[in-house]
Amino acid sequence: MWRIRAMEERVGQLKRAGEVHGLIHLSVGQEGVAAAVCGQLRDDDAVYSGHRAHGHTLAKGAPLPALLAELMGRVGGLCKGLGGSMHLVDVEHGMLGATGVVGGNIPMALGSALAARMRGGDAVAVVFFGDGAVQAGQFNESINIATLWKLPVVFVCENNGFAEFSPRSAHTNVERVSDVVAPYDLPRETVDGNEFAAVRSVFGRMLAGVRAGEGPALLECLTHRLRGHYEGDPDRYREAVSKAEWQEKDPILRLQRQGAADGWLADGDPAEFEAAARTEVDEAVEAARRSPFPDEALAASLVRAGGKS
Amino acid sequence: MTNETTREIPYIAAINEAIHQEMARDEDVVFFGQSVGNNPEDPFVKAFGDGRVRVTPISETAEIGMAAGAALAGKRPVVDCTMAEFLLVAMDQVVNEANRFHYMSGGQVKAPLVLKAGYGFTAGWAGQHTGSIYGMFMGIPGLKVALPSTPADAKGLMATAIRDDNPVLFLHHYLLTLEKGPVPEGEHLVPFGQAVVRREGADVTLVATGWTVGHALGAAEQLAAEGVSAEVIDPRTIAPLDTATVLTSVAKTGRLVLVDQATRHSSVSAVIAAEVAEHGFSSLRAPIVQVTALDASIPYSKPMEDFILPDTGKIVAAVRQVLGAGVVA
Amino acid sequence: MSGANGIPAERLVELYSQMVRIREFEERVKRTFAEHPGVIRGHTHLADGAEASIVGSVGAIRDGDQVFATYRCHGYPIALGSDTAAMMAEIYGRAGGICKGYGGSMHLADPARGFLGTSGIVGQNIPQGTGAAYAAQLRGRGEVVLTFFGDGASKQGAFHESLNIAAVWKLPVVFIMENNSFSATVRTEQEDANAAAGEPLSMKAKAYSIPGVTVDGSDPLAVHEAVATAVDRARAGEGPTLIESLVYRLSAHGNSIAPPGVPLHYPEHEAISKYGAVEEYEAAKRGDPIPRFRAHLVETGALTAERAAEIAQAAQAEMQHAVDFGLESPFPEPHEALTYVYA
Repeated sequence: MWRIRAMEERVGQLKRAGEVHGLIHLSVGQEGVAAAVCGQLRDDDAVYSGHRAHGHTLAKGAPLPALLAELMGRVGGLCKGLGGSMHLVDVEHGMLGATGVVGGNIPMALGSALAARMRGGDAVAVVFFGDGAVQAGQFNESINIATLWKLPVVFVCENNGFAEFSPRSAHTNVERVSDVVAPYDLPRETVDGNEFAAVRSVFGRMLAGVRAGEGPALLECLTHRLRGHYEGDPDRYREAVSKAEWQEKDPILRLQRQGAADGWLADGDPAEFEAAARTEVDEAVEAARRSPFPDEALAASLVRAGGKS
Repeated sequence: MTNETTREIPYIAAINEAIHQEMARDEDVVFFGQSVGNNPEDPFVKAFGDGRVRVTPISETAEIGMAAGAALAGKRPVVDCTMAEFLLVAMDQVVNEANRFHYMSGGQVKAPLVLKAGYGFTAGWAGQHTGSIYGMFMGIPGLKVALPSTPADAKGLMATAIRDDNPVLFLHHYLLTLEKGPVPEGEHLVPFGQAVVRREGADVTLVATGWTVGHALGAAEQLAAEGVSAEVIDPRTIAPLDTATVLTSVAKTGRLVLVDQATRHSSVSAVIAAEVAEHGFSSLRAPIVQVTALDASIPYSKPMEDFILPDTGKIVAAVRQVLGAGVVA
Repeated sequence: MSGANGIPAERLVELYSQMVRIREFEERVKRTFAEHPGVIRGHTHLADGAEASIVGSVGAIRDGDQVFATYRCHGYPIALGSDTAAMMAEIYGRAGGICKGYGGSMHLADPARGFLGTSGIVGQNIPQGTGAAYAAQLRGRGEVVLTFFGDGASKQGAFHESLNIAAVWKLPVVFIMENNSFSATVRTEQEDANAAAGEPLSMKAKAYSIPGVTVDGSDPLAVHEAVATAVDRARAGEGPTLIESLVYRLSAHGNSIAPPGVPLHYPEHEAISKYGAVEEYEAAKRGDPIPRFRAHLVETGALTAERAAEIAQAAQAEMQHAVDFGLESPFPEPHEALTYVYA
């Protein structure tokens, strides 16, 4: 979680310094979900994410230097600089893709789930999306098919209360995403996404069922986006949280308090984890800077699979 | 049709001004979309209330389909679709519904609506948010497509779009958002299907749309220093497309360079090239040259992004090529 | 059969008469394939079996209300009072058609009667009806919109998006899903998680916090009651309702699909041709809503056998005229193809 936080904060700085360009969506404050979910997955489990994908990608095992190099548009990036922030892919670690179009990743995860079942074994697909995607047609189309075909897929909704720039109440009468799937017979639950242990245990239970062939499940994690929708968003549409409130909510601080209380985290550990994460990020940024920008010809070379045609 | 008092305002402000003025003029105009009217301070909500100005969920098919239905029922909806690629989520509603209603009903019904969307945001948005995808819409019967390149045209084309009785795709270029220019204060309408000659010239005709108009004018300026006189034409709407102005110009210059941010095989330039080859072949003194985006998705990393796109240097080189390729008359 | 709920006997007979007229119209469309080969082109979808659902629904609205439908669209305009001769001429592709030959069977429109048009693409008329309801809400005169679609359309994203917005904006629209147990030729339980679980499809309303009701679509009075309740709710500004109307389509999904030169015909129903469910289909025929409603009206004294025979004869004469008019109506001038591209 500290690795994600340190990375995201650094990406924010790099964006302001012009080293990262384009549209950037950060997941500061939402690290708990990425860590609790991806931490229980294997490389052969497929993960799909949306436009706010940095944390999921890192938690799924993508190497930090390559991830940062991608965000910095370098040839050493996960996608050789072709994809950028909204299009992270790391096939080796089962990060099959992020999509920049809201809801577009949900049916794709069904495809991976279907493929996993056809291969045999107990691999699953997990798709992360925001509450905004729930009002998109693909969501309902996908829930119906996944339920009907009992596909091994877990739908993980990070409900941060805002779809792009407006609150959920402007978008739907149904407050809980887990209630939107009420017509369908699949396990569904809403948890506090800032509570790492809660996400971990509920997701773990769902994952076991899905691996056992019981069909899909939906996990709604209530989270709080600490920053605007995108970096540079003037953010006039919502109330800022106070610092004190955030101390309460911050998933990292909460886990640290829990760890201290339960005795598995020593006093000096959090500072050490944070420092280690920040050092790792610093080193990764330096490594990325050493990676050159891509050769121009690369831009035209990967349009179709199998080389130029 | 144009109020003479002008002032310098940004392209995006000109678009908003047109919507605002048309909403004030005609109470049937309604405005909705995913980022419309999402706070009580929104100037549209303040002026026209939250009935005519509404934020929608991320539901493209419903947003555009609802516009079609509301239009059939007498409204003139303007849908802010945000980015042009989001239209693709609801492709059926964009190209296969409202645009065909008037025709299929034998002229009984009409569907006046405007789909406003930004395009061409080649600023590191990578593959899914930066395309210049108008080429795939310009041949769709019943659908009109406007591509304003100046703040004044942005206002005038939007006002015309809202008053038009057909579905109109109004595509504004993201890189022009903050560009300022003189814009008439009051009512300002720019007719559809009428190209404008942005610069007169005698040696070569340049046709460009949207953001590339500025590059074409820059190239013309640079070429003038070399003694080459380039005429620059901006079609302003690509459906309907004013080919007559292009043919007249080519009859004068004998040379044609087409500039387009779209991928080569789905571009306005490919269509104009075909029209001129068919109807203006005898005027041509050199082969037509197209300066378009290359046939690839837009890459994220900046050096590759630049490589894909047309720019002033590429236009100048193309002009030199057509001038060098002159044949004896 | 549900009670009449205070509907006067004369009105009940009128509803019955509309059912008979729709059936006769569809029979004549079907017969045209055999009697006048080549006159109907493309794809035609019949509403036989759904007459009770159609007249029960349309009978619950008033002037100023509007109706959106799918490509299976012959029944609604008849119930709304459209000219059946112009409708038949449209299906025959003639200049005298209700859309002058531009639309054909799948795209009937009669805006003067509130029938604003159809979509030939599954589910896509649902947002359009929702948009018309938004216009009605803005007009503020208490008008409502009925949007008809099939069970298959409820698997389209357009359904989900539209019901959600209609619910949150409290739009005056009634969503009427005619569940005929087949999505084209696929059985509903093969493609719908609710149907597969043995649940009514009206359950889907739960996702939007709106009422969801399932009615027997072969009972015009039950449909009328459910739709009237939903219409009242919509007029009162309380928002949309999802009504699942269970019908059994008595003809195949549509006529045969073939390249030009191969004669078109109406094939056997999928229940038999694809699934071998002869008894299911025979049972549906025994449950035909028209004789059922006639028996009910005769039993309750609203209709006499003589009057029923007159209604049948009048419908036959009307549709004979429609066929004759359609056959005699000239084809449009070829160059007319370039009019109406733009309004």
